[in-house]
Amino acid sequence: MPATYPDSAQLKGRDRKISEALLNKKRFRVLGLTPDDVIKYFFQGNAAVAILVLVLIMVFLLREGAGFFGQNLRNLRIYRLAGLEYVDFIKREVEAHTELTRAANALRMRQFDAYLKEGKTIEEANEALAQYDLFATAFGDTVNEVRSIASDMTEAAVAIKEKEQIYRDTLEQKAMLLRAGRSAEAEAVVASSVDFKSEVEALKAMQPAFLAANVEFASKIKAALALGGREPLQAPYMGPFNQLKKHAETYLNSFASVEAQMARWTNDQPIPWYESVTAFLFGREWLTASFWQDWYGVIPLFVGSLLVSAIALAIAVPLGVAGAIYVSEIASAAEKGIIKPYIEFISAIPSVVLGFFGVAVLGQCLRAVSQTPWLSWFPGFPMSERLNSLTAGCLLAFMAIPTIFSLAEDALNNVPRHFKEASYALGATRFQTIVRILMPASLSGIISAILLGFGRVIGETMVVLLCAGNRIAIPDFTQGIGAFFQPVHTMTGIIAQEMGEVVPGSIHYRALFMVGIVLFIIALGVNFLAQRIVKRYRISIG
Amino acid sequence: MNATFETRMDTLPQAARGSQQGAPDTSDPMIEIDHLDFYYGANHALRDISLQIPGHQVTAFIGPSGCGKSTLLRCFNRMNDLIEGTRIGNGQIRIHGIDISDPAVDTIALRRQVGMVFQKSNPFPKSIYENIAYGLQIQGVRDRRRLDEVVEKSLRGAALWDEVKDRLHTSALGLSGGQQQRVCIARAIAVEPSIILMDEPCSALDPIATAKVEELIHELKKNYTIVIVTHNMQQAGRCSDMTAFFYLGQLIEMGKTEKIFTNPVQKQTEDYISGRFG
Repeated sequence: MPATYPDSAQLKGRDRKISEALLNKKRFRVLGLTPDDVIKYFFQGNAAVAILVLVLIMVFLLREGAGFFGQNLRNLRIYRLAGLEYVDFIKREVEAHTELTRAANALRMRQFDAYLKEGKTIEEANEALAQYDLFATAFGDTVNEVRSIASDMTEAAVAIKEKEQIYRDTLEQKAMLLRAGRSAEAEAVVASSVDFKSEVEALKAMQPAFLAANVEFASKIKAALALGGREPLQAPYMGPFNQLKKHAETYLNSFASVEAQMARWTNDQPIPWYESVTAFLFGREWLTASFWQDWYGVIPLFVGSLLVSAIALAIAVPLGVAGAIYVSEIASAAEKGIIKPYIEFISAIPSVVLGFFGVAVLGQCLRAVSQTPWLSWFPGFPMSERLNSLTAGCLLAFMAIPTIFSLAEDALNNVPRHFKEASYALGATRFQTIVRILMPASLSGIISAILLGFGRVIGETMVVLLCAGNRIAIPDFTQGIGAFFQPVHTMTGIIAQEMGEVVPGSIHYRALFMVGIVLFIIALGVNFLAQRIVKRYRISIG
Repeated sequence: MNATFETRMDTLPQAARGSQQGAPDTSDPMIEIDHLDFYYGANHALRDISLQIPGHQVTAFIGPSGCGKSTLLRCFNRMNDLIEGTRIGNGQIRIHGIDISDPAVDTIALRRQVGMVFQKSNPFPKSIYENIAYGLQIQGVRDRRRLDEVVEKSLRGAALWDEVKDRLHTSALGLSGGQQQRVCIARAIAVEPSIILMDEPCSALDPIATAKVEELIHELKKNYTIVIVTHNMQQAGRCSDMTAFFYLGQLIEMGKTEKIFTNPVQKQTEDYISGRFG
């Protein structure tokens, strides 16, 4: 049968159909967009919104925070101009004395308890301590004169500072009136600027009185030290007592430098602009809403955050990584089916609930454990506070475990199966395979898991606010491990706690934003580092 | 059980190797399989397999995909233990006369005697040197001189020494595919096994690299018993002494390679070899 070929008319018709189909002129369009375009722009728009929001947050943070440095510089300048700095020389001297008195009283308490334990009655104990009390009372009273001068000077300095504040408030009022167009009323408001030079002269006029009192003070301390006698306490407490005496000697020797500092001081030494930055970044004090002087130093908060995070990671990293190794390498399918969802469920617990648990249960438990007698050899035990960095660190560790576990497990699972098989085929044990092949091959993945866990921990707010104890102070690291049992405050906690109370636009408000920026930069840095490491890891596996 | 296994494993191959210096003695079967049944969960993967693999020869397993030849190979060093749900239902596998399907067998010692080379070349992401030395290091060998010696000997044994001697401490992942596969062979022989299992060792290699590996297999059989799984009929013909043909989990036929390829007994074997199915 001969083949039938289409004639040329038929051919033309078919060509046209094909070309029509290919050009697809009849395709459905909305506003000139095909459905494909619409879908593309939809997803593009979503991605753009996410990026835009991030940019907006950064801009907003910077805008609110940037004004801080100017305000802080003025804050620091007034501190010097109004003579607060000058008075602080004396106040620090008085505070150091208070510190010593407190130590002396604490020592008395310990000796007193020891006497009671021996079976003495309260009266007998007091009697035995009579010699010591002579010393302690006399020592405590030595400061009275200097303290009263200090408080006079404090009042004077605060008065100067207040004058400056009133001056600025009136200026503000005037500007507001002018803005409102009530220029006649504005004229009536008179703002008189403060003449710091002469005001501070009045303050400095008190110096001779102080110097005289200081000489008296020193001689009284020497007398008090002699009152203690040779052996006012029992042997185990004589060591600390002699220590205390030594501290008192050094204290006495520091008087000369205090006086020299005061003599050198003038209120017109300029404060360079960068000091408002360094005072924030390296300031060791965060003190707000004080009648005297506000300090915005991020260090105590930063150290608090780091300390709590370090405790959390020290607990969470071994648990999370070991859990991931177990689930990915050792567990049977049934175990995997139980363990994985359980660990991942932890991240679903609201942090406020965990914080509540920490306040109600964990803090109490940890302290009870630390108070058991047979653990008293452990440095820092017993803990003095129920809520401290350890309590918060334990809970944060609990929160970081799912993050570290999941990511580390992914990293381990991403190690190609054939590495593992090759190792087993060479006669390696499971432990050798895990330690020598799997861990090195997934190390960067595990490190990035740890970094992201760190990011999770340092950004966590509710738990630390509830459980870290919220004392704004750098932990006393001279106590060694004991430093981990001290209450701290954190960067996140301070923002959550204080943001609701501050006046928008005030220096305190802006300082909190600066803390936020520091947190933001840390989180950004950690995430950036984690991503870099993950990228390198992909390359190394090849 | 373990003690006897270890001592026999340690003494036998050396003795056997010593007597092999002249003409290979093929009468002594190295691996004996008796009525073996193997399961992946409910899946009956190997059915009633009985065969004997002679020492110091190359035995090729051929057959279409899914016929169980790789599964059988992985039974010899108990690699199937790593896969959950696998079990030997019936039968025995004896290596040097010891039943290795016994759960009491120390798989670590077994795998040091029965080395394996995989389909995809899988050097560790470490240096060439560390790859070869790994097998000894996990046995606790720390002596640097001994390690150096073994690395050189193994690389020479795998015909790779001249190509890599100047870059022993660079990553093994930087080598070509054929070189990587020879690193894997060197790694396997570094622990001095008596048997080397090869699971399609050339399927990812180009013809030139394949030729080198085949040449190497020919060299290795002087010292090792080799079992190779291959899809490549010509390869089986070129480099094996014995050939076993599997189909659907059953051993259809086993015999001298030239006989299987020229005059098979079974119709299925003939069909497969002549390319009518598979």
